[in-house]
Amino acid sequence: MNQMTEVSANRPLSILIGALGGQGGGVLTEWIIAAATHAGLAAQSTSIPGVAQRTGATTYYLEIFPERLPEGAPEPVFSLYPVPGDVDVIIAGELLEAGRMLEMDYASPERTTLITSTHRLYSIGEKSVAGNGIYPRERIERAAHALAHSLVAFDALAAARAVGSEANAVLLGALAALNVLPLTPADFEAAIRAGGVAVERNLTGFAAGLKVVTAAGARDVQPERAWNELKAERARALRSRGAAFLKLCAQAEAEFAASLHRTLGEAIARLTDYQDERYAADFLARVRQLVALGAGPKLTELFVRRLAVWMTYEDAIRVAELKTRRARLARIRQEHLSDDKAVLSVTDYLKPDLDEIYGILPAVIAAPLARRAERRWPQGRPTLAQHVRTTTVTGFLRLWLLGRLRFLRPASLRYQREFALLERWQQAVFEVAITDESLACEVIELAAVIKGYGHVRRRLSAAVARLLDETLAPALARDRAAGQGYAATTELLRQERQAILSSEN
Amino acid sequence: MERSFAADVKQLAFGNGQTLRGEGILAITKALLQSGISYVGGYPGSPVSHLLDVLADANESLLAPLGIYFDASASEAAAAALLGASINYPMRGAVTWKSVVGTNVASDALSNLASPGVIGGALIIVGDDYGAGASIIQERTHAFALKSSLCLLDPRPGLQNFARLVEAGFELSEASNLPTMLSLRIRAAHLRGQMICRDNVRPAISMLSPLHQPSFDYSRISHPPSTFRHEAQKFELRLPAARRFVLERGLNEIIPGEDSQVGIIVQGGLTATTLRALALLGAADGFGRSRMPLLVLNVVHPLVPEQILDFLAEKKRVLVLEEGMPNFIEQEVKALAYDRQLKTEIHGKDLIAAQGEYVPQVIINALTRFLAGEAEERRAALLQHAGRARQMLEQPVPPRPPAFCTGCPERPVFSALKIAQRELGATHVAADIGCHAFATLPPFNQGNTILGYGMGLASAGAVAQAFDRRVISIMGDGGFWHSGLTAGVANAVYNRQDSVLVILENFYTSATGQQANPSSGVNPRGQAVKMSIAETIRSLGVRWLRLVNPYRVSDTLAVIKEAMTTKAEGLKVIIARGECQLERQRRAKPQIAAKLKAGQRIALPRFGVDADVCTGDKSCMRLNGCPSLTLRENPDPLRDDPVAHVDESCVGCGLCGEVAHAAVLCPSFYEVKVIRHPRFIERALDEIRRRIIGLLQT
Repeated sequence: MNQMTEVSANRPLSILIGALGGQGGGVLTEWIIAAATHAGLAAQSTSIPGVAQRTGATTYYLEIFPERLPEGAPEPVFSLYPVPGDVDVIIAGELLEAGRMLEMDYASPERTTLITSTHRLYSIGEKSVAGNGIYPRERIERAAHALAHSLVAFDALAAARAVGSEANAVLLGALAALNVLPLTPADFEAAIRAGGVAVERNLTGFAAGLKVVTAAGARDVQPERAWNELKAERARALRSRGAAFLKLCAQAEAEFAASLHRTLGEAIARLTDYQDERYAADFLARVRQLVALGAGPKLTELFVRRLAVWMTYEDAIRVAELKTRRARLARIRQEHLSDDKAVLSVTDYLKPDLDEIYGILPAVIAAPLARRAERRWPQGRPTLAQHVRTTTVTGFLRLWLLGRLRFLRPASLRYQREFALLERWQQAVFEVAITDESLACEVIELAAVIKGYGHVRRRLSAAVARLLDETLAPALARDRAAGQGYAATTELLRQERQAILSSEN
Repeated sequence: MERSFAADVKQLAFGNGQTLRGEGILAITKALLQSGISYVGGYPGSPVSHLLDVLADANESLLAPLGIYFDASASEAAAAALLGASINYPMRGAVTWKSVVGTNVASDALSNLASPGVIGGALIIVGDDYGAGASIIQERTHAFALKSSLCLLDPRPGLQNFARLVEAGFELSEASNLPTMLSLRIRAAHLRGQMICRDNVRPAISMLSPLHQPSFDYSRISHPPSTFRHEAQKFELRLPAARRFVLERGLNEIIPGEDSQVGIIVQGGLTATTLRALALLGAADGFGRSRMPLLVLNVVHPLVPEQILDFLAEKKRVLVLEEGMPNFIEQEVKALAYDRQLKTEIHGKDLIAAQGEYVPQVIINALTRFLAGEAEERRAALLQHAGRARQMLEQPVPPRPPAFCTGCPERPVFSALKIAQRELGATHVAADIGCHAFATLPPFNQGNTILGYGMGLASAGAVAQAFDRRVISIMGDGGFWHSGLTAGVANAVYNRQDSVLVILENFYTSATGQQANPSSGVNPRGQAVKMSIAETIRSLGVRWLRLVNPYRVSDTLAVIKEAMTTKAEGLKVIIARGECQLERQRRAKPQIAAKLKAGQRIALPRFGVDADVCTGDKSCMRLNGCPSLTLRENPDPLRDDPVAHVDESCVGCGLCGEVAHAAVLCPSFYEVKVIRHPRFIERALDEIRRRIIGLLQT
């Protein structure tokens, strides 16, 4: 830039960075300031890093005067705060933080360039809801489109990983490419070099960020794989039971609507894998009953999903079997290793409680034991803590042998107990299936409340049993008497379900 | 320490005319050296921790050669008492801490300092942690300046102005004998800009040129009857001297304006926000040239009546912009105007939100009311999209409160405490100040009260007697050495309190940036000092004391349950010892990288979750909250709810597995040790194992 004697600009450009502690927002800020200094521009930054590195939401704020100031010119006034509606560039290191900046009205459709990474780091509130507590990302995307003058949204974390760099360097590259600040890529590169830390790695990330923007932020969405292809894969994975699976699939496809084929197929694969062909056939019979009552495809699909998951409840046999599969160890290898020369040692943290242990025994033997145990330890039952080294031969054998005990399952106490509740639930579903579809969906969803292991699962099962026995019937009776439909019962069930899922224990 | 200040230390050595680039707090530190201080000290706390951090790094190369003593004060009280050197001797000294809490702790010594006054300049840099980003209670430091007669500086933001006021602050203190406070808001402390330096000044009295004669003067002792004279001196001599100095040296600034009918009196610290607001409302330009005059108070106590009256004179309306309540400045300005029977309308809190941080929106709102006319249209234009995002988002974006770091040794203790209370019933938990205060937030929600730094145990005194089960108090090692030792442990033992104290010893004062404390084994000057909490507590007569490794949740749980149920009377102390993970990783990361590069064998532990075994009940999250323990989409085509997932930031502390065990949650967690550059025998054994296992696998 030439030395100017007249200053035409009247105000600094403003940049707001929203990040999480430990994400490198401070370094990003320093780079931008250093780039401005390199370009001979006056700049100022500030931050609230009180909880930096402590994973809380943090913000950084910068202002850059867009022209070189001649010697002796009055100094521009830099603000220490962003002003809502008066921000030129917003950079968010994560999608929820972009949402936060938008929520605080910082963006203006007249002038704000919003650069955001689209990856998510979930907040504690989102993480601790049993079920799905994830904030709907579409809403943030919608607000970003509407309220940013221009928007660059891409997964900066993935882009950084792809080149072995950090997300903040990639975001800096994106900022440089957009040309919204009077700074050149050379200014930014000089800033990274002056920083002196991991210079090459950061320059690589910076280059990746430059490219993302020039390539118009192409997003790769994986197309859904064709069911026929997947079906063949499932059959192969089932090995000797593959033929039975394909037979049942063909049967189901002949019998049910096409929209259900994929879900039904996945369910049949799951059940065959879990137990055997007969078990999967029993499952299909239950679905058939629902369809016979006149249930539509939406209701049936939900029922198929929930029923299949419930019928493949995770007993000790199932866990042992999942933990000893070839695919599992291969997956761990792939997730934790980049080269094949390293050695992996996997230790499984298992702690079945008494219920889970005698649960796999035949009911005739286990039932008297269970009665005594329940009297003796009404709250927490004794447990058997073990750290199994699954990558050693002896450790593997312990789990592998347990996983072979599938034949015990149909006679087991656990099976009896699971099916006692499952039948009650299924009965309730059948009762309301043709009454009201939303209500029926809500009853079906009760199955998804039952999650977890040991005491967690017992607590949730008991809660569902209570809802089925004590809440549902009187509520239905009230709705019938009122004759205004079943919205009240549906809403009551929904609330009760949410309450159980978000309860602390 | 959290940050290395090697580059900053170099800048502190800069001489005349050199340009320093850095944060506001660095400019202030540099100005201390330019002022010829003999000693400096303080207690860390946001936003002034870095002042101490950078001095610790500069001690050997810069402070010691100048003979400057650097005191790693044990508390703000100790730091304030350090200034006692300037009562009798013409030595300049500076101390720093976080306000208002630190000033509370310091206030006994401060009163005793302010009463006799100082002959050597005494400067207190307080980091004012007030407003949106604050981590402490919302009170004004101003009240202390008023009650103890301290000068209070609130500089207009800008590194050069900070330096100017530090240097002037020492002279002001010496001209008036009043200790002087310089208050720095968070954003100002972290403001990054530049200043032109001057040479550092070697103090006349120092470790290199020590005193030889004690000065005894009863009139300088805070004891009657001297104190009666001190009181009179403050108001008859010292404050008037300070006012003269402020006026003569032009410490406050007048920004001229054509419109002489109106004016604004503003705290120095709010100047930039006010000028920006005026610019947005069309009443100023981007260079601070305003249509109406402003009186910028870089010195907010004492005010200079003639300067204020001069500003008010001939004006119809004046607005006082003063952050926080009570509105001391506005009241004083109004009183002055009343005494002089001025007709000027004086506005303040009638036009602006009384409480909270004066962020731009608040000041824009106030100025719009004050200016009316064109300002209203400009404000409306600025706000034309306000609220639209909230509407589109439908529900508030989830908060993201600060939390324990990945692998933090304090988190497992709260996991154990939460499990223990599920089993034994909930009890009162007296929380304390420190990272462990994060336990009061989700997912732990542990902690019923916070009464100040190191005060957790003391705050449980009466509750412990009035509760039907034992109450639990939390204390960090920082809090223990700050005041918990006396106000907490000694007090509880003396009163034969029957309760449980959990001390989290992680060897640093971590929340403020891992400063050394007496548990660290070394002081900030790098001298070896090891003080033991366990031995100290034993010597106070605590009989029931257990040390636990926090990462062993089941063991910690058992010890907590024992403490809660044992027949043993008196205070039961559990010390959970584990090094601050941030500090540990800072050391470990380069070591790991070096080993990998050198091709040496190294075992790296990490944790994982089997997505097909996880049922998505999230019980683990509610007992853990580790940042690396997160969610992923359920890979299962039949299930919708996200499942748990350990991301690559895991440091392998093992908590998730331990919690799953201790709380009997689920079998989804596994530990994987990746052995890089394994020995030949390890590789051979692995090969054999994999072959055998492979034969059985499906």
